Amino acid sequence: MGSISYYVRRVVSSLLTIVLIATVTFLMMHSIPGGPFSREKAVPAEILKSLNEKYNLDAPLHEQYVDYMYRLFIKFDFGPSFSIIGTSVNQLIDSGKDASLKIGLYASIVIILLGIPLGIISALKQNKPIDYAVMFMATLGVTIPSFVVATLIIYFFAGKLGWIPTFGLEDPRGYIGPVVALAGYSLSFVSRLTRSSMLEVLRQDYIRTARANGISEFKVIAKHAVKNALIPVVTYIGPMIAALLTGSFVVEKIFAIPGMGRYFVVSVGNRDYTTIMGMTILYSAFYIVTILLVDIAYGFIDPRIRLGKE
Amino acid sequence: MADNRFRFLESKFEDAEVSRPSLTYWQDAWRRLKKHKPAMFGVVVIAIIVFFGVFGPMLSKYSYSDQNNDFKNLPPRLEIFTVADGINLHLSEDYNMFLVSDKGEILKRLDQNKKKKDVVNKLYYYVIDDATGEEVILDFSYNLLKDKQGYDYDFTIEHKGVVFKYPTGKVFNKTNIFGTDDLGRDILTRVMYGARISLLVAVIATVVNLLIGVVYGSVSGYEGGKVDEAMMRVVDIINSIPLMLYVILLMVWIPKSDGLGNIIIALSSVYWVSMARLVRGQMLSLKEQEFVLAARVIGVPKIKIIFRHLIPNAMGPIIVSMTMMIPTAVFTEAFLSFVGLGVSAPQASWGTLANNALPGLITYPYQLFFPALAIAITMLAFNFLGDGLRDALDPRLRKG
Repeated sequence: MGSISYYVRRVVSSLLTIVLIATVTFLMMHSIPGGPFSREKAVPAEILKSLNEKYNLDAPLHEQYVDYMYRLFIKFDFGPSFSIIGTSVNQLIDSGKDASLKIGLYASIVIILLGIPLGIISALKQNKPIDYAVMFMATLGVTIPSFVVATLIIYFFAGKLGWIPTFGLEDPRGYIGPVVALAGYSLSFVSRLTRSSMLEVLRQDYIRTARANGISEFKVIAKHAVKNALIPVVTYIGPMIAALLTGSFVVEKIFAIPGMGRYFVVSVGNRDYTTIMGMTILYSAFYIVTILLVDIAYGFIDPRIRLGKE
Repeated sequence: MADNRFRFLESKFEDAEVSRPSLTYWQDAWRRLKKHKPAMFGVVVIAIIVFFGVFGPMLSKYSYSDQNNDFKNLPPRLEIFTVADGINLHLSEDYNMFLVSDKGEILKRLDQNKKKKDVVNKLYYYVIDDATGEEVILDFSYNLLKDKQGYDYDFTIEHKGVVFKYPTGKVFNKTNIFGTDDLGRDILTRVMYGARISLLVAVIATVVNLLIGVVYGSVSGYEGGKVDEAMMRVVDIINSIPLMLYVILLMVWIPKSDGLGNIIIALSSVYWVSMARLVRGQMLSLKEQEFVLAARVIGVPKIKIIFRHLIPNAMGPIIVSMTMMIPTAVFTEAFLSFVGLGVSAPQASWGTLANNALPGLITYPYQLFFPALAIAITMLAFNFLGDGLRDALDPRLRKG
């Protein structure tokens, strides 16, 4: 069974990639001159010494590395935060993960439910007003950065009109702003991709054959055209979901959402090395695992992909 | 047969075949590009942006770092109270009173007469003319005192006994066309200067990415076999990482200089991967062609084959991908600056300008509007140009 060995290889290489990323991140964070406790205000030498002892920073690098990797991969322990005293990185992740995952998930749903139909409609109505309208919006969507979209939403809908809250998620309407800002770019991209792929498929001979055979137009579109047009779209959507679930930190910053991304941005700001390290590894691992799952799912959906890689 | 039995036919056509001058690949591409209207629009817009980025800061009478605390947070469109002929007053969102000319030039910030200030009744006195002692009263008692509540205005301006409740007009700010920021710096100058920084970062990062990507991809593609396998594994690994995170990590890791160098290094060390893949793909198909075999047979060295024969033939797709890389770099740079990892003050890119405008967004939206518009227009222009170039240069997508 060649396909099983393919899956095993994929899983193993994904795991190795995660270990590699953890190693590189560890080495990078430990090679920054000055160490995590060098501040503008000099810390007394004795305090520095006891801090280094407490966090095991005076041990040789390879011991620290083995220790870190052991705790990371066996206990899933990211260690203590260096700037939020008395809090572990795990606690930060725990308190932020719900908000981040929810926003990412809602954004993915919005993109799939809106982007694909919009793309199909504009392909079917090529060069009609509705096509131009959709493509105009899609072009705007890929050219305006998410942080600008987010701030415009806050300015108009939260500030001027007061329809949605300016920050936080206590009110369910609070999700609207972040989800729209996060979904904007990918929504535009998906609808453009769906449209061009659909136009390509509609030119194919088998569509003409299907029509010639007298199959109803709806069936031609739904059964023959859409199904094939969606293959490149699905290929894009897999990594996209991973990116949305992990990449919302700017949106979280603007809308002041207590998610993981905000902690990440804050930790970058105050050079909180363990948190930067932990968040980077977690985000990357999450991204890689999601892509792995999507890849495996493709193997079942479309056997050509599995065979192609053999 | 006698000659006179023959006669010449009158020639109807100059030539039997209608021929046109043969075009080189680049002439043909240029001809196609000229027909692509959005692409030409993109070219014009990019030229304008580059012009303002290069010469704008020189032509402007302000410098990007000139601070003027008297003139801070002034919008591009001023609401004025014309209290007398030639005396137009503007009350800024920071509650500073300005004297504005009829045309919209800001003449001066009015000083308060501190002695007459009535804090209890919220009455403030501003001196219009030092010589005559002409004054204007800003009455802020509305909505504060019980008997004055329920009005739709918050303050009135009183000049020689006449009370003005609403602004009498609006005028464009001629002194600072795009307004000023929270330190009184001219936003137009800063947006033009931001164009310089943003485009500089984008272009350098793209060129470095191009060089690394082309060399890496062509070696991998041309060598093939084990070398190719190993090199592509590295690319696969880099490709399976969320790159934005690593750009951020690199920004934290690289020793702090002025920020500009850091951002260029960070951007150019990760985004070459897609270019490498593209070039490798091109190499794989090109190296099987006869002209490569011919070159190899006559003993042309490997490096010369790659750089003389293969890369020029792959130039079309490379240029298209490069055009698409520039807006991505502008985008990423703006994004990084927005997270606070951008160039350091007083230098400013569009991203830092947008980030600086964020805290005062509700009150001073114009401070965000102009840099955001600049980013959007640039993205749009490069996208249009990229689309046009793809149609013009990529032979696979040619129709007919």
